[in-house]
Amino acid sequence: MHPLFQNRNSLFAYFFAWVPLGAMLGVVISAAAHLDWRATVAIIAPVTLLLAFVCLSPWYLCRVLPLNGTPRWKLLSHHSVAAMFASALVLFVVPFLLQVFARFRPGIEEQFEPGLRVLAGMCFLFFLLSVALHYVLQALETSRQAEVLSREAELKALKAQVNPHFLFNSLNSISALTTIDPAKAREMCIRLSDFLRNSLRLGERTSIPLREELALASTYLDVEQVRFGKRLRVIQDFDTASDACEVPPLLVQPLVENAIKHGIASLAEGGEINMSARVHEGRLRFSVENPFDPDAPSQRKSGFGLVNVRNRLRARYGNMARLDIDASAGTYRVNITVPFIKETGKP
Amino acid sequence: MIRAIIADDEELARHILREYLARQTDVEVVCECDNGFATVKAIAEWKPDLLFLDVQMPKLDGFEVLELVDANLAVVFVTAYDQYATKAFDAAAVDYLLKPFDLTRFQTALDRVRLKLASPGVAAVPAAELRNAAQAPGRYAERIVIRDGARVHVLPVAQIDYVEAQEDYLAFHSAGKSFLKQQTISSLEQSLDPKQFVRVHRSFIVNLERISKIEAYTKDARIAILSDGGKIPVSRSGYLKLKEAMAEP
Repeated sequence: MHPLFQNRNSLFAYFFAWVPLGAMLGVVISAAAHLDWRATVAIIAPVTLLLAFVCLSPWYLCRVLPLNGTPRWKLLSHHSVAAMFASALVLFVVPFLLQVFARFRPGIEEQFEPGLRVLAGMCFLFFLLSVALHYVLQALETSRQAEVLSREAELKALKAQVNPHFLFNSLNSISALTTIDPAKAREMCIRLSDFLRNSLRLGERTSIPLREELALASTYLDVEQVRFGKRLRVIQDFDTASDACEVPPLLVQPLVENAIKHGIASLAEGGEINMSARVHEGRLRFSVENPFDPDAPSQRKSGFGLVNVRNRLRARYGNMARLDIDASAGTYRVNITVPFIKETGKP
Repeated sequence: MIRAIIADDEELARHILREYLARQTDVEVVCECDNGFATVKAIAEWKPDLLFLDVQMPKLDGFEVLELVDANLAVVFVTAYDQYATKAFDAAAVDYLLKPFDLTRFQTALDRVRLKLASPGVAAVPAAELRNAAQAPGRYAERIVIRDGARVHVLPVAQIDYVEAQEDYLAFHSAGKSFLKQQTISSLEQSLDPKQFVRVHRSFIVNLERISKIEAYTKDARIAILSDGGKIPVSRSGYLKLKEAMAEP
């Protein structure tokens, strides 16, 4: 079903747009066949209506023959043949109209003769014009869909953001600290607030420099550090050049969260989280590495957060970004490679 | 005196329980554990009356710990958030505490514990059933935990050849070895993926990947020959289930 039929308003607008086109057709034909306005309207009005319907058909054709991936000669030949059919259809219908009209005005059939060829040519052109417009429509639709997809992914990321486990466990740590070390309890409240505030703030933007994303991940790790104590050790190794790379917000934080949830938390003795960022040949390579318990049930190992990150990367960069996961010998490693896009300036 | 064990992998979480328990005159904390194995060991060693148990712990989770210990103790789950687990708690645990919790809520839990310990006649719900209740729909067990004296075996389900019911016990056969565990065959059947494990007989569950062929035995009964040469009986209804499971892509 053509998208125009899904909406009464747009269908109405489409047919309205044919009024000036029909008028133009009328002017040209009446000049070619020396017709008065009554005869012109009587013939051209139904022809225009027919043409309006015929010119919806390229929608199907354009879907089968996408601009990218169809050879030029094929595009040209298929659409030309279709346009010829369209004008042939009109030429087939017009003689009937003339026959009917000849009752009121004898001789109109002979008089219209020179108009026929012009009409055929105009139909051919209108059809091709419609093909071109349909390709534009298709491109707009594709980009709109891509946007919806990426927006959805981002939204999901935000919803997944404040993991209830993390929140309740952190609050429990604060509850414990209030009697042991009130100053530390207050500090943790502040760290937790910082994290929540920043993740909300950054989540609203479409892209942020890596340095802000890393700062967010650090705040997250500060909070978890209180919870896990010496079980959690973090090693960070970042290229200064990587700081300025534009990335989608909340790209790194889910990786770190994963490393804790499925790595450190599954090990009684804890372990080391290794984070690194490198810029190499126009690409940013970011990795997070953590130990995990290979015997743990897999629902602890596989991260839903990672699926989400992968979808967002695809929506944003297409084939230009990669997310690789490698789990071997008790070490879980996630690598992200994205094109290096330098931040444009202060927001 | 109620003798209690605290099992939680986070030091701060254990601290809260310790602090609240210090106000009680009738409870004594005999041991603290930071992982599942240590908890199983400590319970065998100390034989406590009460266990405060975190669900998510390294090595073995809270449910696995319960499967491995003799259920004659009061259990209070202490967890941050677990939508499926709460269902199980409702059914079986003495109480559950959602982190963070206050002293009043903690007192309520302890009151329930005292009540339960005062009337020991109440039958405990077997841990395996508890686990099934807590399982998310569509998810199946990925490993089986079995205690053998002081040792704990963790057996990934893919390594199971077949399981045979022997009175109150199940014998898990894996690569020529067998392990005994106290559990009913129907509760095990429920927790295993029906695409991989089929109950072919009243007292046999078999791993589909281990079957090499089925032979007729009598008019109604058949025998499944396993890839290692072992033979297990297949009942008539078991054969139907087997055909159904194998027909699925």
